[in-house]
Amino acid sequence: MYYKLSGFTQKLTGSACTTAYNPQVRPGSGVSVSDGGLRVGVPAESPTMTFATPTKVVSEAGAMVEYMGSNRVPDLQRLFQTPDGLPVHLKGGVPDRLLYRTTMALTIGGALYCLVALYIAAQPRKN
Amino acid sequence: MAHQAHAYHMVDPSPWPLTGAIAALLMTSGLAIWFHFHSISLMTLGLILMLLTMYQWWRDIVREGTYQGHHTPPVQKGLRYGMILFITSEVFFFLGFFWAFYHSSLAPTPELGGTWPPAGITPLDPFEVPLLNTAVLLASGVTVTWAHHSIMEGNRKQAIQSLTLTIILGLYFTFLQAMEYFEAPFTIADGVYGSTFFVATGFHGLHVIIGSSFLAICLLRQILHHFTSNHHFGFEAAAWYWHFVDVVWLFLYISIYWWGS
Repeated sequence: MYYKLSGFTQKLTGSACTTAYNPQVRPGSGVSVSDGGLRVGVPAESPTMTFATPTKVVSEAGAMVEYMGSNRVPDLQRLFQTPDGLPVHLKGGVPDRLLYRTTMALTIGGALYCLVALYIAAQPRKN
Repeated sequence: MAHQAHAYHMVDPSPWPLTGAIAALLMTSGLAIWFHFHSISLMTLGLILMLLTMYQWWRDIVREGTYQGHHTPPVQKGLRYGMILFITSEVFFFLGFFWAFYHSSLAPTPELGGTWPPAGITPLDPFEVPLLNTAVLLASGVTVTWAHHSIMEGNRKQAIQSLTLTIILGLYFTFLQAMEYFEAPFTIADGVYGSTFFVATGFHGLHVIIGSSFLAICLLRQILHHFTSNHHFGFEAAAWYWHFVDVVWLFLYISIYWWGS
């Protein structure tokens, strides 16, 4: 069998002897294979395209392409283990701070509102 | 980060117990204000604060466990005991409703006509939708076990598919129960039969919804690669809870739907 570098997959692929990589005879040089200094003994047979068509595309691309999304856990582990002294509820950055401040504002505001509402509810009814 | 010579989790100071407590105050006070003044603003505020607290607290637990590695084997053991005690307390919660049911049904009072089901009550046929519900929940017990084995074997695709199937079965159960409630020829106000029936099956339905949510979070975490083949306690806790809900249904079906009709 003869091989060439496939321009499509960037991998070795089966090929006919006329198109195979051959440093002695350059394609387009006008010299046919049979005229070359090195004889190519076996005539071309139709090759099977085994190497250019991988059956497992997923494993070729490594861990990056997976069923329903890639694994970002190692990146997040790096982020949440940075020794910046922040407590876990603020370690995620700006969204964490916004959410925390909203929650805290509602807590304080709600507690005051609740005290007022309960105070009003405790007053005797006027009628 | 300072080195520690033990495997236990020293938690960061957290604001969530405070925000959760205030949320509980707002919701209970809001309920009273709603009853007296027909205003739901305080209760809604409490509900929003509770949802914010739940989201952020559980988000932090995922961060501590999955991203920071604080859930070491001894910590996981503590989580296991915690979940076991929680489910035990839930068992006793349901035991109370079964007690009420058997107390009323084993010796029906003259006011009920001395019979069970009480005079004038047409109970649901246990061999129609309730039997289908039993089959649906048993099937979901099978699919959740399939999901567990898939996670243990590192079979990501099957774990996601079987977990999705479990959640769909849980939602189907909830849908069928809602249909049954609409079609039931008695109400919660129809004496002790209606009370015991709707309180027991209603709290069970609430637990199915909680279990479905728990499993849905597990599905999301499985999709996000949070579970490994030997560390996935969040999923195991959800599976325990789901089996508990499943077993409670079997008792409800046999006692209230079948024997009680």
